Amino acid sequence: MEYSELVKDFLDDAGGHLGVFDSALLSLEKNGYNNAVVQTILGPLHTLKGNSGMMGYESMKAYIHQVEEVLKKVVDGEVPIEQVIDALLDSANVIREVLQTIGKDPSANPDLTQNIFLIRERLKGPDGKTSRKEIDLSSYLGAKTETIKVDFKRFDDLLNLVGELVIYKTRLNQIETQMRGAIGNKSLSKELSGGLELMGKTIAGLQEGIMKARMLPVLHVFVKFPRMVRDLARLQEKEIDLVFEGEETELDKTVIDEIEEPLLHIIRNAVDHGIEEAGERAVKGKGHRGVITLSAAQESNYVIIRVRDDGRGIDFDRVRETAVSRGLIKSDEVPGKEELVSLIFAAGFTTKKETTEVSGRGIGLDVVSKNISKLNGQITVDSVPGKGTTFTIKLPLSLAIIPALMVEAGDEVYAVPMSAVDESIKVREEDIHIINNHEVIRFREKVIPVVRLDTFFNISGKRRNRFYLIILGRAEKRLAVAVDRLKGQQEIVIKPLDDTFGKSFGIAGASVLGDGRIVLIADVVAFWRETLGRRNGGIYEGDNFAPRVAAIHEREQEV
Amino acid sequence: MSEIHLPASGLAEEILPRYKEKKRDLHLVTFNLGEEYGVPIHQVQEIIRVSGITMVPNSPSYMEGVINLRGRVLPVLNLRKRLKLTPKEIGKASRIVVAEAGDKVIGLLVDAVSHVIKVAPEAVESAPEEVLEIDTDYITGVGKLKNRLIILLDLEKLLRRENIEVAGVTDEGGEHGKED
Repeated sequence: MEYSELVKDFLDDAGGHLGVFDSALLSLEKNGYNNAVVQTILGPLHTLKGNSGMMGYESMKAYIHQVEEVLKKVVDGEVPIEQVIDALLDSANVIREVLQTIGKDPSANPDLTQNIFLIRERLKGPDGKTSRKEIDLSSYLGAKTETIKVDFKRFDDLLNLVGELVIYKTRLNQIETQMRGAIGNKSLSKELSGGLELMGKTIAGLQEGIMKARMLPVLHVFVKFPRMVRDLARLQEKEIDLVFEGEETELDKTVIDEIEEPLLHIIRNAVDHGIEEAGERAVKGKGHRGVITLSAAQESNYVIIRVRDDGRGIDFDRVRETAVSRGLIKSDEVPGKEELVSLIFAAGFTTKKETTEVSGRGIGLDVVSKNISKLNGQITVDSVPGKGTTFTIKLPLSLAIIPALMVEAGDEVYAVPMSAVDESIKVREEDIHIINNHEVIRFREKVIPVVRLDTFFNISGKRRNRFYLIILGRAEKRLAVAVDRLKGQQEIVIKPLDDTFGKSFGIAGASVLGDGRIVLIADVVAFWRETLGRRNGGIYEGDNFAPRVAAIHEREQEV
Repeated sequence: MSEIHLPASGLAEEILPRYKEKKRDLHLVTFNLGEEYGVPIHQVQEIIRVSGITMVPNSPSYMEGVINLRGRVLPVLNLRKRLKLTPKEIGKASRIVVAEAGDKVIGLLVDAVSHVIKVAPEAVESAPEEVLEIDTDYITGVGKLKNRLIILLDLEKLLRRENIEVAGVTDEGGEHGKED
């Protein structure tokens, strides 16, 4: 965001606060003292003071502080409101004028020392005079604002309506195709299809417009972290710069709201475990200030957010030691790098005891991984010892309309969010092997678990010898979901399922297709849960999906 | 007591709004599930034919599935299963009664929709205690007409979570629901 835009935001915001201040003062003047009314002023005034300070308008900040002092005295009953009401009304005008000056020239920083002095004087006693100075009538109108505040729900409603419009349009297209053969009048049918095409374009434009209106620059989340990094770094006597890249990348507000927490954990980890103390960095020949880079970029329908640090990298030996000591792996096990990386996302890896000693990474990373999966996203880690670590999060641009892979099992069609899908492959029944009663497949030199969609959802139907596997990724882990057929990719509008009858395990929502049919959206998190219970090592025991896991364990014992 | 017969189609969209306004009268939409049941007409939004129900896996057995009602995804409750009556195949006369219950809108799968009737308050008696079991407080009373009885249902109570879970205790889907 440009500085000038920040000023614009500040002025828009300030105009609102000033409005509240004005109307409350008028009410006080007319109706006399009323504590409730005074209370409504204090919040906006305080915000305005803080924002002024943040924008560097120090004199204004000091002035508003003085106004606050006056109000405080009124609330405490030291000064009657009648004595200071004129001064307060004047102060609103002073603020208004300052805002106007800033609007004309953001670099102006009007000096209000004189006004501060005046308002202090007024506290001492009535002088019976209001300021006689000429007033600029246009200042009451304030600067014209180019933004409006809209309840987010309205956008949700609009998007729903557009979603329905898309459905009807598809339906009309289908009717048109059927009619083309049926009616003899060629020019009429041509006109119809032409009209439908134009309507389709308009609807697409409308949909895009509303999607855009819901978007916010990712900076909205990013700005929350510099202060946190500074404070955490200071606590640990480290010096860290937090650098933004691509902070103007726009994301749907729903996604913006959901990524705050995962990012917080990852950044905190980078500060705690990634960046070394200045001394250690000097020995390694690195600059004494550590750098954490927070970057965002859009790639087709996804947004990629990275947290990169130039610290010591993940100490895999230590991760292994911790895992062994915590009983997550056996002492003679030598897991590969990928396995170790997936360990830092395991729930059992993080406990209170763990966080007090500086050991392997892992604080809250299980939560991170789960949250990202919930958003139909993916997280991967790349770490080079001595050089640093990069966490990469891939998310859909929107939670409301997502690209999905339509798959078929038996006669049922399900939608699988594309963002969770790595790739899909065609296999034969012979390619599937059974280990410890669970189906697996060899995929890129790894053995990964297979979940059958038909079994998972109790869908009946004959299986074929040749079918498809959808490979899902979560951190370094892979999982294959077996389906009969792939029906192509499609943008779908997600509608939540009513939970009157409880939430259905494995279903993330529903979407209405062009022909009016409802397709259910598979919850990829559920597939992961399904495979969690298959591991006997128990690293997932701390997982809060325990009930499901327990159920599967029981089944295993029966066999 | 007056009785209005529905159009031959059984679709009541045209005539329903007329009766919605006079809430004070005990207007009922009645439907058949072996016995005749009734719900207050002001709760009924519309009555539609049965088509395109999408089954939802891992849900309670009385959850018939979801339907698309002009872009809205509505759950459909199989009333026979919910009331623990003998299940019956969906037939030509089967209808989905779209009704409001509290802040929810759901579909009720019934054998057939019978009538829209007006019952005088004095013709309604509370159900005899002997036939009620625990968790059947969704039966609010019995309307006594000249030659038949109408069992009055309270939809909100029918949907109340504890009731549902008691009913769905043997069902895996119901249990998963609780986990989340």
